[in-house]
Amino acid sequence: MTAIETLNALKLTGVDKSFGSLSVIKGVELSVRKGHRHAVIGPNGAGKSTLFNLISGMFPLTAGEIELNGQRISGLAPHKINRAGLSRSFQITNIFHKMSVFENLRIGVLAKHGSRFDLLRPISRMRSINEETGRILDLVGLSVRSGHLAGDLSYSEQRALEIGMTLSTGAEVILLDEPTAGMSREETAQAVELIRKVTEGKTLLMVEHDMSVVFSLCDRVSVLVYGSILATDTPAEISKNSAVQQAYLGEDAA
Amino acid sequence: MSATSKFLIIGLALLVSIALPPFLSAGWQNALNTMLIASLFALSFNLLAGQAGLLSFGHAAYFGVGAFAALHLMLAVEDGLPVPTPLLPLAGALAGLVAGVVSGWFSTMRSGVYFALVTLAIAELFHSLTPHLQGLFGGESGISSMRMPWMGIRFATILEVYYLTLGWFVICAVLLWAYTRTPFGRLTLALRDNEQRVRFMGYDAHVSKTLIFTVSAMFSGVAGALQAVTNETANYDLFSAGVSSQVVLFTYVGGATLFFGPVFGAVAFTVFAFLMSDLTRSWLFYQGLIFVLVMLYAPHGIGGALAMQLRQWRELDWRRLVKPYATATVGGLMIAAGVVFLTETVSILFGLDYEHARTLTPDYLPDFTLMGQVWSPVAVSTWVLPAVLLIGGIALLQVARRWLDHSDDAMAASDTETSKGSV
Repeated sequence: MTAIETLNALKLTGVDKSFGSLSVIKGVELSVRKGHRHAVIGPNGAGKSTLFNLISGMFPLTAGEIELNGQRISGLAPHKINRAGLSRSFQITNIFHKMSVFENLRIGVLAKHGSRFDLLRPISRMRSINEETGRILDLVGLSVRSGHLAGDLSYSEQRALEIGMTLSTGAEVILLDEPTAGMSREETAQAVELIRKVTEGKTLLMVEHDMSVVFSLCDRVSVLVYGSILATDTPAEISKNSAVQQAYLGEDAA
Repeated sequence: MSATSKFLIIGLALLVSIALPPFLSAGWQNALNTMLIASLFALSFNLLAGQAGLLSFGHAAYFGVGAFAALHLMLAVEDGLPVPTPLLPLAGALAGLVAGVVSGWFSTMRSGVYFALVTLAIAELFHSLTPHLQGLFGGESGISSMRMPWMGIRFATILEVYYLTLGWFVICAVLLWAYTRTPFGRLTLALRDNEQRVRFMGYDAHVSKTLIFTVSAMFSGVAGALQAVTNETANYDLFSAGVSSQVVLFTYVGGATLFFGPVFGAVAFTVFAFLMSDLTRSWLFYQGLIFVLVMLYAPHGIGGALAMQLRQWRELDWRRLVKPYATATVGGLMIAAGVVFLTETVSILFGLDYEHARTLTPDYLPDFTLMGQVWSPVAVSTWVLPAVLLIGGIALLQVARRWLDHSDDAMAASDTETSKGSV
């Protein structure tokens, strides 16, 4: 392993994915540097969510390899990828609706501390687990909603909880799938601040449609079009890139 | 309801179940014993169905395996193995655990309908194989043994057996309740809520579900063992679909959303069977009817409905509710009486005895006796009575419902008034 490779938190090499005869992801090469906030943008149907599903282990790859901190994770089950240090959120809110907000986060904290199959101790006595859950609750600004059922939260609160759950397992590499989708301008601004705060010192890979979010948050942007990476650069360079403009605005405009 | 009043109710129930039985007939002692076994079976089943959201249609397998394991241990004790009689259910626990690990591993590979079908298939496998396995399951006639005395306790009467069952029920119920308070108990609920997310938070969902299945099967095995200790015999019938569906019935009529809900169902149906099975051959039909009604009108079961009333105990205006509740009770009883009358009449008219009576009087339909009265099947009065009961009962229920809607409106109105007043 070379010194340069270890700088990458996440590295995708020649990743292909086909569903039957339909090729959705074609030869994707992508490196996310440790500590960077990296966005994946692209038109609808470009395969952004599929890419996330491949990285997080929801679908098996057709070809290629994915490495997390130099360790191969492609082919592993989702829970093993999570334990290796990569945690993802979902585009459609994916929480435990009938459990309290606190418990939603505590499930992740328990996983982080390896108390997965603990059948011998009452959970109320596990002070450090409960304290750590409280800290994440504070971090995502849901302390006042601690005892409420997650299903009763407002949409933007559920999105914040979604991010909190993604963080709760202690992963260093965070994947957020459209964290600001469906939010008002005000809510989006709050969400951006939240993401900035909680990913401090971590590596972030996010799918995002809102270019202003990408500009204010991210160090790098990759453009995914028809299942291939068109370009990877800083947000400023990407916005000047003519190939990207073509892909987004159509060939007539170029 | 506060924690103290909860403990008070449980303590009281425990006190009654310890102090009362010596004053009851052997028949009732036996019914109470059956009740405890059914309750334990339903509680362990509900760990899987209610808490993990995995509806098994084949839990008879683990109940039966537990029963046979206990009987084999009893046979070994007869031959001189020094195992105290009160510890016999441990054999059931172990057998349930082993059977649970194996079939849990396979059945929890799938969820929903497929899971239910695999569990059903496994139980049917036991049911069809066991009559052919002479050595292990005693063929069609099953195996029998005797309870051995231990430390001066002879376990000769049903009362002694009842206390043994009660002891095991309490231990198992406490353990099952404690389970819900552990990290894994919380994960069980999370799995029911959203299995996919659990996987993406670092948990192996399949291993987790296998473990839950195993715990449930283990406690079902204890319940089966207690049944074996009580009856001193068991045969392949324990693996029948009837046993599997009965525990589903107990759990959902009692209330799968509450920890102690299944106990209500098990108690209600055991008492019902005890009282009714001597009175009428149609009691299974009534049991099915009750199940349908509860699912339609109280989907959270008896326990769920009770819990809701208790939760709103203080807010409810009981003076306003007495009238509609009393009316609804009278209406409900009238409908029940009408249904019972019709059911019993039909079962007589289409029964073998009546067919025989008709051959004696080929020219006309003979009279029949029901509830000490003689009725003619062609008289109008015979059919007017149930019609009046049914129509009158439905009418009373409608009236009660209108009153309830009205009082709900009134309460809502007074609520808005008070909130306006406070602003």
